[in-house]
Amino acid sequence: MAIIEVEHIRKEFKIAKRETGIAGALKSIFNRKFTIKEAVQDISFTIEKGEMVGYIGPNGAGKSTTIKILTGILVPTSGKVLVNGIVPYENRQQNAKNIGVVFGQRTQLWWDLPTIESFELLKEIYQVSDKRYKENMDTFTEILGLDEFINTPVRQLSLGQRMRADIAASLLHDPEILYLDEPTIGLDVVAKEKMRQFIQEINRIRQVTVILTTHDMEDIEKLCKRMILIDHGQKVYDGAIDTVKNRFGKMRTLVVDVEENGKDLVLSGGELIRVEGNRKWIRFNRDEISASQLIAQITSTHNITDLTVEEPTIESIISRIYQEGLSEEAPVSVH
Amino acid sequence: MRILSYIQLYFRLVSAGIRAQMQYRFAFIMRIVGMLTAYAGTATTMWVVLYRFDALGQWNYYEMLFLFALAIVSWGFCIILFFHYISLDTYIVNGTFDRFLVRPINPFFHFMSMRFDVASFGQFIFSIVVFLWVSVALSIDWRLSKLLFLLASIVGGVLIQGGMLVMISALAFWTTKSNWFYWVVMFPARNLNNYPLSIYPKVVQWIAAFVVPFGFVNYFPATVILDKTPVGFPAYIGYFSPLVGLIFFTIAYAIWMLGLRRYKSAGS
Repeated sequence: MAIIEVEHIRKEFKIAKRETGIAGALKSIFNRKFTIKEAVQDISFTIEKGEMVGYIGPNGAGKSTTIKILTGILVPTSGKVLVNGIVPYENRQQNAKNIGVVFGQRTQLWWDLPTIESFELLKEIYQVSDKRYKENMDTFTEILGLDEFINTPVRQLSLGQRMRADIAASLLHDPEILYLDEPTIGLDVVAKEKMRQFIQEINRIRQVTVILTTHDMEDIEKLCKRMILIDHGQKVYDGAIDTVKNRFGKMRTLVVDVEENGKDLVLSGGELIRVEGNRKWIRFNRDEISASQLIAQITSTHNITDLTVEEPTIESIISRIYQEGLSEEAPVSVH
Repeated sequence: MRILSYIQLYFRLVSAGIRAQMQYRFAFIMRIVGMLTAYAGTATTMWVVLYRFDALGQWNYYEMLFLFALAIVSWGFCIILFFHYISLDTYIVNGTFDRFLVRPINPFFHFMSMRFDVASFGQFIFSIVVFLWVSVALSIDWRLSKLLFLLASIVGGVLIQGGMLVMISALAFWTTKSNWFYWVVMFPARNLNNYPLSIYPKVVQWIAAFVVPFGFVNYFPATVILDKTPVGFPAYIGYFSPLVGLIFFTIAYAIWMLGLRRYKSAGS
């Protein structure tokens, strides 16, 4: 049974136009002009219980707006949402009991108090029984390693520790759904990897439905089987992550700086996509040719002064989907 | 959630807030000291003014001091409970307000309990001292009924001023910046309350009675307690103070909740 059903939601924002300069600022005090921005335009999807779905897109694509609608913070301009049988923005408090929310950029913990106190306060707010609280704290201490900083004030925690504490805090009341908005943002590589393991572990042992927004492609690859890709408030893709990965995830771009010597660059297996002075961008499929083979080809005719290999970003994947298309339906089973 | 568990939760959250403030001990102590000196300063100014004139309207120095004490005791309670509301706009701008909306409790209550301004205990103590001093000087006969009325009108004063703070904060739901409004409305209104309403033009008196009911914070109840006539108003008007507070606060709460609805549909 679907735990989340989203049908044709749209969300418009009225944005005051700002004019430049002091005169413009004065003018806009008395005569404000508005533009309508459609943050979300007609998005639909369903999510099954226990699924872990990546909800991704570039900045400003409408990810956070969707999450805010699902959590009941915002009311959609039109469309229908059911989360666990509840319309979240109509029964916000009821909905709040079923969900856990982590906003990566903002903590929900009490900044100036030892971390443990936030847990105790949340226990009261969500009216978690003493027994359940203890069980949960034991589990989280074990998998999230809370004990190493439980008595430290939140403001003194490292970002990685704070995120772990925030995730534990959002799960104290046994929510069925966990919304993670950019849970790895700003973390270093090691902390990111750890965080992904925690999320996986929690999904596995608790059967929590997880919706994860991020613009880190790696988060999605490591965590989710399914992804919903949105851009400019619209759904671009919804289906198995493997389809996207197989199509575009293998593409790499080799960026080389070469000394000009009048000769043309002869490439087989790579495609020159951009040239700027001495710098050249060459796209290639990792399965067809390796970066070192490509480099060997270039060095046979040119001297390379500098090089990097770029992995595909979400932005580049989106633009390729626009160019080449990709079927909306997942060809393989998602569940 | 039941009322009882709400009350229990309020104390839990508030005590957490106090402990959080205690983390910054120096700032904490300085705030208490600052409050005390600020009010002592106001009292001195009043004394200087009255030393020259001996009385203002039909109010002598001690009666005015009583007026002053009544204003600050309710303001003291009021800021402990509601001063936090004027920072609502900052929460909205920073996006931290959303946190209150993903929890299964009333957001008005949750926001209110996030901070408890202990530092204002300084002025609370100050106002008690003034009360005692004035009571002796005016030889007020504190019968039980009078004492109960005093308490009820303090509650009324807290609700009126708290309601005002809540209304001002609610503006943030529409304009995102509302903090300045505090200085435009609250600050002059509170200064107005330092002197008997009868010295002001009729228009101001009417506004303070029927529009922004600041007259009910101290002036009207003081006329009842000190057996004075509220010139131009019925003698019993002071008795309405608690009721006015209740009504005004209810309106403020309704406006706040309306603002919250608009926030949910408009975003920030």
